[in-house]
This record gives sequence, structure tokens and C-alpha cells, in this order.
Amino acid sequence: MRKQEDRLRSKACSGQLLIVAALSIAVLISSTTIYVYELGREATHSLSQSMNDFVMALKQGTRNTLISSLANVSNGGNNTVLEANLNTYSQLVRRPNSLGTCNLNFTLSNTTGYDSGTCLSWSTLSIGVSSACADFTMHVYGASEEITADYSTNITTVIVLNGFYTTLAGGEKLVNLTCHVSNENEPALAKSIDVFYEDAGNWTLADESNNLFIKDYGNGTYLVSFTVNVSSEVVQISTHMHDMRNIFVQANTNATLYGT
Amino acid sequence: MVIFSSLAISTNFATVQNDTHRENLASAGLQCLLKLDSEGNLSMYIDNGNWTALRDCLSLALPAGVTFNLTVYDELMQSVNTEVLSNGGFSSQEIAFVDYTCASQGQVYHCYIIYLYLAVAR
Repeated sequence: MRKQEDRLRSKACSGQLLIVAALSIAVLISSTTIYVYELGREATHSLSQSMNDFVMALKQGTRNTLISSLANVSNGGNNTVLEANLNTYSQLVRRPNSLGTCNLNFTLSNTTGYDSGTCLSWSTLSIGVSSACADFTMHVYGASEEITADYSTNITTVIVLNGFYTTLAGGEKLVNLTCHVSNENEPALAKSIDVFYEDAGNWTLADESNNLFIKDYGNGTYLVSFTVNVSSEVVQISTHMHDMRNIFVQANTNATLYGT
Repeated sequence: MVIFSSLAISTNFATVQNDTHRENLASAGLQCLLKLDSEGNLSMYIDNGNWTALRDCLSLALPAGVTFNLTVYDELMQSVNTEVLSNGGFSSQEIAFVDYTCASQGQVYHCYIIYLYLAVAR
């Protein structure tokens, strides 16, 4: 009788042990599954990061292409350069790489002032603009994901002039010209600034003989001062500027007597 | 069965972790090239053949302990760099690869294809 009771108790114990073991294995398997799932999610996130980097690199490439083309066109190049350069770039990015392939289509801006994606507006009084603009559509076909993105890129260099003069004792005029330079509406530095003034119908470059002085404020503002010996009431000035990207822009202004 | 499952899971875990490391390394390399390119320096160094400056920039910009080997090709896939652009040999089996298309900002337009191999020095 006692033996039978012991056998029954030991059977109940082994049953409990089995249940505990089964539960432990279930917990182990569940936690491992969750862990592996989380790891998988991290890996997917990382892949998306790579894809984002790839898209950023493409956008940087199109931006550089616009800068190069605008530098070329604004320095006298043909305005078909932008289209040719973008074609070269889009053909190169079309080749398969580690993330997949990319199809890059573009439309050059032809809105007011733009011709084949570029705009050189140098005739408005006191303001000069050199700009390039294009719309892009990219399709990136990756191994596990696809991205389609539309974006516009605009590269614009602007110079704004403000000038006046004061008359010196000998009848010479001291011209003070303020130039504000910007790239994409942000203050920017100039690589070179050449100032011309009109003297009897001829444009003359202001140099040391005109006591030319250029002060760079470091924030896109330049103060240019020089002396001229011209008889006209208004001193006509033309400023030729290259920004740090070698984009050329020109603007003309009239300096009048200070206070008038 | 439990031992077998554990082994299978750990193998999977090791593979995923290696892939993640490789992707992080590739991302760091791409970010580094992107940074240089956004400032216009990448294409400028290549245009001017200033390989020393390019090597130094990469050495400084990449995380410490990362070795690299970089090759620049032109549009016709002809090698452009005249000297080896590397900061050491690869002793790791985890090698990440970055394929970067660089457009120049210069007045004369050039496109370069950059192959950057990265590894963690052991």
C-alpha cells in the first residue's frame, strides 16, 4: 500500500517536472524568437540607412553637376552644358552597384528667366543673379526595397550692390560700394571681385591707382572703396564677381552723391 | 533538440551581427565620402591628383582603427589614382565595400567612380 502511494507521488512529481521543463523550453524558444526578430528589425533599419545614404549621395552628385555646369555657363560656356553633364551623371549612376540600380530622370527649368536650366540675369540695376535649376525623379531598385523620390535642385549666386560717393577736396570722388554675396540665399564668400567704373564711355578697372580698398567682413558683405576722377553726377559701376565655386556673376549700379 | 536549436540560432545571430557590422562600416565610409564631396574637396583632390591630401582626409575622417583602400576610376573605368590610397593592410575578414559616384564641381566637368574597401584593424 505504502509502495503504491510512493509510486503515485513519484509519478505526480515527474509530471510536474515535465510541465516545468516544457514551460522553460517554451519560454526559451519564445524569448529567442523575439530576440531574433529584434535583430532582424535592426538589420532592416540598417539597410534603410544605407539606402538613405545612397539617395543622399545621388542628390549630392546632381548638386555638384549643377554647380559645375553653372560655373561653366556663367564663365562663357554654352548653355547646353548642363543637359550634357546631367546625362553623363545619370548614365553613370544607372550601372548596378551594391545597393541596386538607379534610374535618374531630370527636367531642366524653363520658367521665366531660365533657358535650358540656367539663368544669367545681369542687367537688373544693383542685382546680379546666376542660377541653375532642375527637377529630378529617381527610382532606386534595391535588392529588398525600392525608393522613388522627386526633388528639385537650385544653385543660385546673387550679388546685391549699394553705392554712393563723396566729393574730395581736389574734386575727386570717393566711391563706397557695399556688395552682398549669397549662395542659395545664404551669405557666401567671394573668390574675386573686380570693380569697373565708366569714364567717358569706357569701362575702366579700378586698381591701386584708384586707391582701391576691399574690406571683407567675412559674412558675405564686402566694402569696396576707390577714388575716381570723372565729371558725371552719377558714377556708373560694374562689379564682376566669382564665388568660391567659381560661379561668375555681374551687376551694375549707379553711385550717387551721398545724402542726395 | 534544444542544443541543435541553440546552435542554429547562434549561427543565425552571428551572421546577422556580421552583416550589421559590415553595413555600419560601409555607412561610415559613405558618410565620410559624402562629407568630403559636399565641400567640393573630393573631386578637387582627384582633379589635382592630390592623393596625399585625399589619403590624409580619409584617415582623419574615418573612425579610429578602420583601415581603407580606395581606387578611383574615370567614366571608362580606367584607374585614375597613380598611387595606392590605403592606410594599412587588411587583416580582418569583415570587409565592407562602398561604390560612390563623384561628380566634380569644377568648371570642366568630370565624373569619377570610387571603390572604397573598409575593414576594422585587428
